[in-house]
Amino acid sequence: MDNYANSKGSRKALSIFRDIIAIAVTLIMLFPIYWMIVSSFKTSDELLQAVPTLWPKVFNWQNYPNALKMAPFGKYFFNTIVMTAGIMVFQMLVGILAAYGFSKGKFRFKNTLFIVVLGALMVPIQVTFVPIYVMMARLDWINTFKALIIPEAVSAYNIFMLRQAFMSVDNSYCEAAKVDGMGRLGIIFKILTPMCKPTLITMGLLTFIGGWNSYFWPKMVTSRPEMRTIAIGVYELKRSFAGLETMNTNEIMAGAFMAILPIVVIFMMAQKYLLTGFSKAAMK
Amino acid sequence: MKPTKLFSVFMMSVFMLTSVVACSGGSTGTSGTKGPSASPTENSAEKYAVTKPIKIEWWHAIESQYQPTVDKVVSDFKSKNPNIDVEAIYQGSYADLNNKLVAAQAAGTTLPALAISNTPYVAQYGEAELCETLDPYIKATGFDIKDFGAGLVKSSSYDEKLIALPFQISTQIMFYNKDMADAEGIKIPTKWSEMDEFMKKASKVNNGKTDRYATVIPGWDQWYFEPFFLNNGVKIVNSDNKSTDLNSDKALNIANQIKKWHQEGTAFFAYGKDASANMRQSFLDGKAFSVIHTTSLYDMYAKSAKFKVGMAWLPGGDTNYSEIGGNVLLIPKKNSQEVKNAAWAFMSYLTSKDVNMVWATDTGYMPTRNSVTKTDAAKEFLKTKPTFQVVFDNLDKINPRIQHPAYSQLAKTWMESLAKATIENQDMKASMDNAKKLIDEILADK
Amino acid sequence: MEPVLENEKKIELKKSKISNIKVEEFKDFLTVLPALAFFGVFIYYPLAQLFNISFTNWNLIKDSYKYVGLKNYQWLYNGSGKAELINSLRVTFIYTLSEVTITLVGGMLLALLFGKMTRKYAFMRSIVFMPKYVGMSTAAVVYAWILNGKYGILNYVLNIFGIPSVDWLTQQSTALIGVLFLTSWRVVGYAMIIYLSAMQGISRDYYEAASLDGATKVQELRYITIPLLSPTTLFLFVTTFIASMKVFQSIDVMTGGGPYESTNVMVYWIYNLAFVDFRVDRAAVTSILFFIILLVCTILTMKVSDKSVNYDS
Repeated sequence: MDNYANSKGSRKALSIFRDIIAIAVTLIMLFPIYWMIVSSFKTSDELLQAVPTLWPKVFNWQNYPNALKMAPFGKYFFNTIVMTAGIMVFQMLVGILAAYGFSKGKFRFKNTLFIVVLGALMVPIQVTFVPIYVMMARLDWINTFKALIIPEAVSAYNIFMLRQAFMSVDNSYCEAAKVDGMGRLGIIFKILTPMCKPTLITMGLLTFIGGWNSYFWPKMVTSRPEMRTIAIGVYELKRSFAGLETMNTNEIMAGAFMAILPIVVIFMMAQKYLLTGFSKAAMK
Repeated sequence: MKPTKLFSVFMMSVFMLTSVVACSGGSTGTSGTKGPSASPTENSAEKYAVTKPIKIEWWHAIESQYQPTVDKVVSDFKSKNPNIDVEAIYQGSYADLNNKLVAAQAAGTTLPALAISNTPYVAQYGEAELCETLDPYIKATGFDIKDFGAGLVKSSSYDEKLIALPFQISTQIMFYNKDMADAEGIKIPTKWSEMDEFMKKASKVNNGKTDRYATVIPGWDQWYFEPFFLNNGVKIVNSDNKSTDLNSDKALNIANQIKKWHQEGTAFFAYGKDASANMRQSFLDGKAFSVIHTTSLYDMYAKSAKFKVGMAWLPGGDTNYSEIGGNVLLIPKKNSQEVKNAAWAFMSYLTSKDVNMVWATDTGYMPTRNSVTKTDAAKEFLKTKPTFQVVFDNLDKINPRIQHPAYSQLAKTWMESLAKATIENQDMKASMDNAKKLIDEILADK
Repeated sequence: MEPVLENEKKIELKKSKISNIKVEEFKDFLTVLPALAFFGVFIYYPLAQLFNISFTNWNLIKDSYKYVGLKNYQWLYNGSGKAELINSLRVTFIYTLSEVTITLVGGMLLALLFGKMTRKYAFMRSIVFMPKYVGMSTAAVVYAWILNGKYGILNYVLNIFGIPSVDWLTQQSTALIGVLFLTSWRVVGYAMIIYLSAMQGISRDYYEAASLDGATKVQELRYITIPLLSPTTLFLFVTTFIASMKVFQSIDVMTGGGPYESTNVMVYWIYNLAFVDFRVDRAAVTSILFFIILLVCTILTMKVSDKSVNYDS
């Protein structure tokens, strides 16, 4: 954002004020995560104390190896990566094509059909999972990657996001390309996609996060542990007596924290490409 | 007639879509649902015998800290029955397990050979005919069903047919602070009429602020306070199966007493999602003399408490029955006979005398067989957990849950009405009259 | 080529133009066909099944069922379901509208606040976005704890400032607010990133021209940034609206629909109807109604936005 202020002095003051607010907000947002990490290092006794402590009295590193021992996280990690990659590939491909059609394409019923796509967002998974499960069972796909990936292969949400982005691209670019003899696919992949790179990267990141944390559907469709994912694994860490009380929140927090580390890394890397300043947008 | 008849039309589009998929991997179900059927013979025992090697799945909700016990039991079984390869798979919480079982039932082909189920689901599953009826198996293999308490057997039956076997059982109990009881000479009430006095004696209230509750009554699950009503003449579901008597004078009497204790601060009626954890913490911190909870949590309390924990049977009224909790084992009906035979073999092993005690010792659930309580293993058990004597003494007082298919809806309505009137100090009679209206509708609709 | 075209040739050209257009239209349609086919199989087919079930008395696990006509519809519109429906809709709408407001306003504010392109700010942005990638179930467990009436740290902090403890999740008046804490925390960072990445796409020319004309920052915001971000705002509004209406996991972990149904949102209610009460026929009716409500809301939004959203093309 441009800093257009009346004098250099007040500009500086504004800047410092902004910094302070930014830091305060960051700390508030960070607190629950901080709590999560701190809890992952506490012992069970300290965890259940009446007066919560802000810093573990004793650093209990055991929670981490304990958590890893309780479930085959290596396999879960692999499964999660394959599943998420598969989902990303499909969602991107189908999504980009459909977004083009709904933004720059011309065909009858375009707007109505777009509402049909949006309609897909309005049916919650808790309602559709039994029929889809039955479909998967009939195809003998339960406990396979197919069942993990295919029902998630297209995202109305992504199509919507991309459509908005494509619509913001001036038509003149497409017209120019057409005159140059570029076909549909060329326009899609050589013009629209590069121009909307930030949106695509955001979309990719969100899809990745969604797949990584995906819990409800993978849980339903993996009755065998060899196909389970990390999100399910974290849940399996729950140690309770007679299914009634969770005792080891500290170990669950350890597992949950390990589960989000890959995302943290990827986001750090993605930020570089995501927010690179104003220059990219205007392509003359 | 299943609702998925139109499916074939859409199979085409599905196949079109998915011809591109390269990823594959993972195994398909191994519950052996396809295969030649066993040739029926005259000898019924042979009909249920396992003749070929077979792999079966057992779906359970036993958490990972008990995995060693599960592994041991499964491998012991394997060595005794080399033909049957059992895979015990953790499927999540009781609710998760229910969802998966229901989905598998709808699909018909992915059911496990054997599954655990939380006791409240038995009536639903029974009505839906999800479970294999076990009576013929018991007769053919001479299974000693009489060794189980009558109440346990009834709770695993529906419509006079046995559809499940009791597995990990618990019941309501009062945990109390034994050190505190000894020091202050507090007597645990055995009759409901003694409750008032007990509340006064065991609690510490100063100027409207409670320093210590006499007891905490869980309000988040009607299972905990049901016995108080049932033992004092309330039927909850009338004999016509279509109406309730929860607004009768007898029921209002009990409910109003609970409300009185909560309002005056001598007892606490716990309601809400985190109420269970708070209740446990209050007890451990000495802020509650006793809590009403389930026997399966004894290990947890004993381990976490810095004082001696005692168990007492709930105070009764005209009767002093308690109710069954925990889970049962069931065999889904839709599998092939071979799978069901293997499931039966494993099921009878899991509920046999030797294994019964193993579960009790390792996991904190109760032994379910009467004969077990007289064995040496049981005596050893009592040596380490002497408080369980009170449970052993009362095994035949454990009654089945009320078996109405709409009971879970009734329970929800009842809980809310009771909690609202008790905690928010509203008129109990009005609340219960309203509840009766809703509940009668719920019951009649089935 | 001849300089003058005969009528016949004109007609021929016209015909090939028309068929060309038709071919082009068809090709454009092909780009959206895979997505449509997918939704047909995985969304609309189950929905059609639900529609069928709503006229039966199926309970989900039996193998047979009977058609009972409009019995379930009567239950929902006239019978005992009506009160629960009104309560659930009320709760869900209050929750959704709060959530959407917080998302749009909060996201925009954060985007403006954290828009500086320095390393420090990039780091802070990552932290603000972090809540989004902590799984919902874990986050719900953490929050349930932070908000615990007796042992939670929020009350502990409030007490330090002299404010009495609040039973966040066990009081009718505050349970929904407690859940909003959690979902807002997760969503504002995400909205911020969405807005920021869209802001990158606004040509700097606009701002240069504006500053030449002597516009203030607030004016820039009002007349350039916000209008040009309207496609993004529309997107965030619609998707957050729909996602909020579908809230489930946080309610399941933190409040269980309570206390006294004060957080009994639609999807939670539907789920319980199907898997706890085993009344999937009732769940089906309610799902259909829910879908229609969402559809109507979304269509209205899209129609209204067609006039006010600026696509700059």
